[in-house]
Amino acid sequence: MNTISKIFARSIIGTLAAGSLFASGTVVAQEKYPSRPIEIIVTFGPGGGADAMGRKMSQLLEPVLKVPLPVSNIAGASGNAGMTKLLTNPADGYTVATLIALSVSSWAAGLGTAKPDDFTVVAITQNSPSMLFVAQDSPFKTIKDLLAHAKANPGAIKVATSGYGTQDDITLMYLASQGYKMTNVPFAKPAERYASPLGNHTDAIYEEPGDVAQFLAGKQLRPLVVFDDEKHASFPEVPTSKELGFNISDLPNFRTITVPAKTPKDRVDALAAAINSVMDTAEWKKFCAETYTCVARKYTPTEAQAYVKAFYANTQNYLKSMKK
Amino acid sequence: METLSLLAGGMSSALAPYHFLIMIIGLAMGVVAGALPGISFVNAMAMALPFTYMMSPIASMAFLGGIYAGGVFGGSISSILINIPGTPASLPACWDGYPMTRQGKSGKALTIAIAASATGGIASALLLTFAAPPFAKFALKFDQPEFFAATFLGLVSIIAVAKSAPWISFLSLFLGMVIGSVGVDPLYGVPRLTFGIAEAQSGINFVVVMIGLFALGEVVEMLVASDGAMKVKEHIRFERPRFTEYWALRGSVVRGTAIGSLIGMIPGAGATVGAVIAYGVEKQASPRGAEFGTGVPEGLTAPEAAKNATTGAAMIPLLTLGIPGSAATAIMLAALVLKGITPGPMLFSTQPDLVYAIFSSMLLANIFMIVAGVIIARGFSHFMKVPPAILSGFIVVLSVLGAYGVRNNIFDVYVCMIFGVIGFAMKRYNFPAAPLVLGVILGPLAERYFLTSLANYDNNVWIFVERPISATILGGALAFVLWAMSPVLLKRIRRNKTAAIS
Repeated sequence: MNTISKIFARSIIGTLAAGSLFASGTVVAQEKYPSRPIEIIVTFGPGGGADAMGRKMSQLLEPVLKVPLPVSNIAGASGNAGMTKLLTNPADGYTVATLIALSVSSWAAGLGTAKPDDFTVVAITQNSPSMLFVAQDSPFKTIKDLLAHAKANPGAIKVATSGYGTQDDITLMYLASQGYKMTNVPFAKPAERYASPLGNHTDAIYEEPGDVAQFLAGKQLRPLVVFDDEKHASFPEVPTSKELGFNISDLPNFRTITVPAKTPKDRVDALAAAINSVMDTAEWKKFCAETYTCVARKYTPTEAQAYVKAFYANTQNYLKSMKK
Repeated sequence: METLSLLAGGMSSALAPYHFLIMIIGLAMGVVAGALPGISFVNAMAMALPFTYMMSPIASMAFLGGIYAGGVFGGSISSILINIPGTPASLPACWDGYPMTRQGKSGKALTIAIAASATGGIASALLLTFAAPPFAKFALKFDQPEFFAATFLGLVSIIAVAKSAPWISFLSLFLGMVIGSVGVDPLYGVPRLTFGIAEAQSGINFVVVMIGLFALGEVVEMLVASDGAMKVKEHIRFERPRFTEYWALRGSVVRGTAIGSLIGMIPGAGATVGAVIAYGVEKQASPRGAEFGTGVPEGLTAPEAAKNATTGAAMIPLLTLGIPGSAATAIMLAALVLKGITPGPMLFSTQPDLVYAIFSSMLLANIFMIVAGVIIARGFSHFMKVPPAILSGFIVVLSVLGAYGVRNNIFDVYVCMIFGVIGFAMKRYNFPAAPLVLGVILGPLAERYFLTSLANYDNNVWIFVERPISATILGGALAFVLWAMSPVLLKRIRRNKTAAIS
């Protein structure tokens, strides 16, 4: 038998087998998962951090799950447009989305109608603390220089951020409450936010290192402080906020793969296992190292869900206390 | 000299059969995607992104650069032939390009558009090659007040663009700005004008509005109109561009190219703003300005040159600073970053081969666009012979696909349908639609730049005239308004005088 007829015969057998599966309903309920393509909703436009994560996952999950995972970018409303789409699709594990910290904090700030309980977080795939960066030629050599200037001249230091009511804003308000008042200059578009300190129009920028990696590699920006309890492995010389006596290390930038809450548990577990195995590959490790987003440890779906819920509650508390 | 030898090296690697072929494929894809109403080159680039995973960095940039250059031109094919802009940047091509088609000069219009686009594109690729670092330094001087001033210039150039009474154009523009502000406020993240509709929080995208107003609106109009706007059954003959004829348009090409190159470097503005400003300026600068809108070659040339001049210019901040100013350049950045290449000042010293291969590909893409443009435009010309009923069905399908494809959101399709109805009504009552679309595009930009400027400069509203570059642009905008309004104003003064005398 030549190859073509072999393939033909195999496909006939396959069709017959599939037909018999459909004939008995009980078998369908236990159908092998996944048996058809899984859509990855990237909740931001092409070219951003969430997009890179979604596309890398798609590429690396395909050989593991043996189905294609097409990516669709559904951008808008701080990622909530994509999350709404996820909820309107059937909760059968064939649609997943990239839920990120920014979207969760937008819920806490009152945007959208989603709550953490509407979703099941399958895995936390990336995580990174935020940092303050200044232009390479900035007069502020260390964070102490910057803070001293902020204390002496309240509001004089201008920090490029992603908006009001965000983690960026919360951090600046916290620093202001500690006596270091700086001005929040919100930029809705990342490209404009990055251009601003480079052109010396603002004094500093609040961002996660992975999103400004090209400016770090190009020696255009340098880090002053990391908002974390522990030193950043890639920036061991950069002081932590904890060393400086600040208690604002609980606003990390995480990215997850998330499904609707009603998704069957066995499918969530199957997805989680596949994602975990991807995160062990050399290619993923290289990717997360380049974007400074490697997670300290892997979370089970239950732990990941608790992590996101804690972040939500935390952000809500900060926003509530700031309003007073 | 060093630049030239690097460029020669870049040329040889861009001309390597594999890279060259991939660039040509990208170019053809871009022109087709651009020319199909609804499908934009940004869609095409986003779809092409996964294919670049397995390509070398040079090949992937040649591919994406080809789609970019071809797509920015391609949009004008449908503008000229069927009065439906294929991409937002091709909106001005409708104003004088389509009237030329109705006069049976579509071949000439397409030839002019191709020649002007290619000239603008080549000039801007040369600028990218020889002057990227100094221009990048200049671009960094621009802060939010300057961006606001440039956007403001775009807004006022609508007076020059308008065929109807200025106040009606302003009303349309204002409505567009209101539509553009639907969604989540850019700084505070507060939903507004969403009327409790969750999907509306994503905002109303200008591409969707444009597809609705122009593509769907035009289709309904086409089916309703008894004279059948599409019945122009002209055999498209591609007159070989007579050099003297094109040479006569050199002033328009130069002005368009200069405006496009400058606007292209501003993040966020891009090809659409460049083309509109170029049309407005050309209308004032050209001796035939008063006839604009009736099928004047100058009115087609300037915006065509400008929009392709933005392509090379937009890549300057991307490659020299790592700042992507538009959706298209953001996709290019993603393609590079996925390969572990970080654009920025270091790229020129660490990987000059790659940089100059990218420059060469952009140059070649713009040169070969002439060939691809002629072949594909000729193919599209055959659509004119298709009966309106069939053609309109085809356009409706593409419009729905295009509206969905912008953000993969079904809500956008409904919005597009609603704007289709509005577009038809606007056409029937001669209410201008172009200012509305420009309002949707420029309104949110102007708002963002204005608010961020105030946040950055102690809420000082005078900052816009205190900063020299921004003051110059605003001064230009003011001069522009007076210039455009001068006939009306002079008439009024004269009338007042005669009234006073009598």
